[in-house]
Amino acid sequence: MSARDIAGTTLINHWQRGVPVYREPVVTPTLRVLAVVAVIGLGLAVARLFSPLSPFSGMNDAYAWGIWKTFNVMTLTALGSGPLALGLASWVLDREKLHVVMRTALASGFLFYAAGLIALGIDVGRPWNFYNALLPWRWNAHSAMLEVAICMPVYCAIFLAFENIPMVLERFYYTGSGKTKATLLRLAPTFRRIYPFMITGAYVLPLMHQSSLGGLLLLAGDKINPLWQSPMLPLLYLVAACVCGLGFVIFLLCIACLRYSRPLDVDVLAELGTLLSWACFGFVFLQVADLAVRGKLGAAVRFDEMSVLLLIQIALVLVPGIVLRNRVARETPRTLLNMSILACLGGMLYRFIPATIAFHPAPNATYFPSVPELLMSIGYIALATLAFGVAVKYFAVLPGEREDWNYMFRRKGRARQVAVRTQ
Amino acid sequence: MIAQMNRRQALLGMVGIGGMVAAAVTAGAEEHPAHPVAAPDAVAMLYDNTICTGCKACMPACNEANGLPADTLLSGGLWDMPSDLNSKTKNIIKLYEEPDSSAFCFVKRQCMHCLDPACVTGCPFGALEKSRWGAVTWNSSLCIGCRYCEVGCPFDVPKFEWNKWNPKVVKCEFCYDRLNKDEQPACTAVCPTGAVIFGTRTDLLAKAKERIASSPGKYFENRVYGEHEAGGTQVLYLSKVAFNKIGLPKLGSASLGHYATKVSSVIYKWFSGPVLAACFLGSLIRKNWNRHDSERPEREKATGLRDQL
Repeated sequence: MSARDIAGTTLINHWQRGVPVYREPVVTPTLRVLAVVAVIGLGLAVARLFSPLSPFSGMNDAYAWGIWKTFNVMTLTALGSGPLALGLASWVLDREKLHVVMRTALASGFLFYAAGLIALGIDVGRPWNFYNALLPWRWNAHSAMLEVAICMPVYCAIFLAFENIPMVLERFYYTGSGKTKATLLRLAPTFRRIYPFMITGAYVLPLMHQSSLGGLLLLAGDKINPLWQSPMLPLLYLVAACVCGLGFVIFLLCIACLRYSRPLDVDVLAELGTLLSWACFGFVFLQVADLAVRGKLGAAVRFDEMSVLLLIQIALVLVPGIVLRNRVARETPRTLLNMSILACLGGMLYRFIPATIAFHPAPNATYFPSVPELLMSIGYIALATLAFGVAVKYFAVLPGEREDWNYMFRRKGRARQVAVRTQ
Repeated sequence: MIAQMNRRQALLGMVGIGGMVAAAVTAGAEEHPAHPVAAPDAVAMLYDNTICTGCKACMPACNEANGLPADTLLSGGLWDMPSDLNSKTKNIIKLYEEPDSSAFCFVKRQCMHCLDPACVTGCPFGALEKSRWGAVTWNSSLCIGCRYCEVGCPFDVPKFEWNKWNPKVVKCEFCYDRLNKDEQPACTAVCPTGAVIFGTRTDLLAKAKERIASSPGKYFENRVYGEHEAGGTQVLYLSKVAFNKIGLPKLGSASLGHYATKVSSVIYKWFSGPVLAACFLGSLIRKNWNRHDSERPEREKATGLRDQL
């Protein structure tokens, strides 16, 4: 009997705690393919460290930012904003149900951010000068780029990493020697004492840099199509991050449970669906209100290229918002999966368009990523995906049933039964 | 409980110190008014394309003064022949021909040295800065090569050395070294016709307006480009053809730095926005956390498993 049954609820709760994927081998054909793609990308990235940017990228002086910044960082960290969106929902809005899926968001978010930061590190032309970040008197406090350049690595390396530590320590606890266990037990209270402070930081920092990513584009002024150039860009980027973060967690949970034959928890998924629908409504409301206030509604329905793009993007966010208002839809995993994909695409499009498709820096200027540029971009994504695929096998990332806990924690690739107290 | 209070006080103390550091940082930085006022000693260039003969004497002079190589791509390796501003060219004379007539004119392009430059506003570590006399200069030891200056600049001026492992941001720096030696920029010094002249911004603006007043109708819109564009620039233009035809974009009169920072400068003033957000979120998180944590033994007892974070 689960805890929820004891509490008197009628629904059977399938997701009770994080459980590693233990029946599957760690190395699968998919993993091998991902590894090849990641090695190609990272190999090129290492080569780039010894070379100018030009042979590796199609960027030019007009389009000075390519897909490494506009896609790997500006777009994909939105998908990696699950820890922010779910964290706010579970710890600030006190949606207790969502604690069980936090780890899925945390692990994927950390990997998206880490992959984005690698992309950023390879993209900057003079990385050796980055030590200036440690010298606050050299900071240009008005620069959105400064905010992003400092806030993002700090968030990923300190706060997001801290949030991911429990699942790593937990593995050490259950697989380690008696001495390891004793040490970890001794450290646990301290960890729990600083935890609420650290997660506060872990929500304030992404609020800052996810909005600053939109703030970056303000300075580009008239180079960005007026449908997108708006003083509201920072706020819209932030809300889009929440849409993408929630959408991606739903997507990932559905896909992972399908892949690893785990039962779904309709209760938790429906809760996520509710939140996603509100986030979608919030986003569309803000975007349309912004267009209206700036007097651009006419341009938005002119049905030229940019207007059609905008309408597609709005529809992609609005449809999941409307559909997920329906309880039956929320509780149908297939619908939920489809709607989460739409929401992710819509949010990603919003984050991608102003810096790329709607960005017209100069007449006659063109940009399309070169082959090595694309391979590197895909390589970083493959690396993150691969790391997630491995992480779910070694750590209790994905939510599962409590009964499965007995068989968890493999050693050297083999599932291993750990004797734990059961009820 | 006492220990907890101490920790909380310690944290608040840390927040306070952080806030003070942030305040010191923000207080030291310049503000971004919509319509910045030029300093009295601000230098300027005035370029008048009714005088320019297109002799291009300013181009080799610029290359020599700045130690730039000749851009020989289009001339088959023979002589300097850039097609636009690029990482080897800080100054260029371009020809504009009217499509349906034989009329033509020249335009000189280089950094506009905005009064509130977008590149300086965006530059994370102040590699680009508004130096003495208002010259916008670049410092190699502060630049991380993020190229935000290129994204921000409304005049497409900063260029990046895509083909160098140690890339520089190349742009006109108003011959800052020469200014420091009490010399005028190489281009104005060498110009044989006086099409581009050097002086203080106040003087040159007055001179430009005199020229307009003395021959009304000669100049496009009877106005000086750069007086108000993007908050005002220190390079001023008089042109007989429309400014946008010769590559000078139509821009609003407010500085981009003002547009980009008017909200964020309030939110981040003394770091108050993030601190307030942390206090607000933190209090709710702490409340929920305390409840969640106090229920932990109960949960662990019910399930027989250690609670997961």
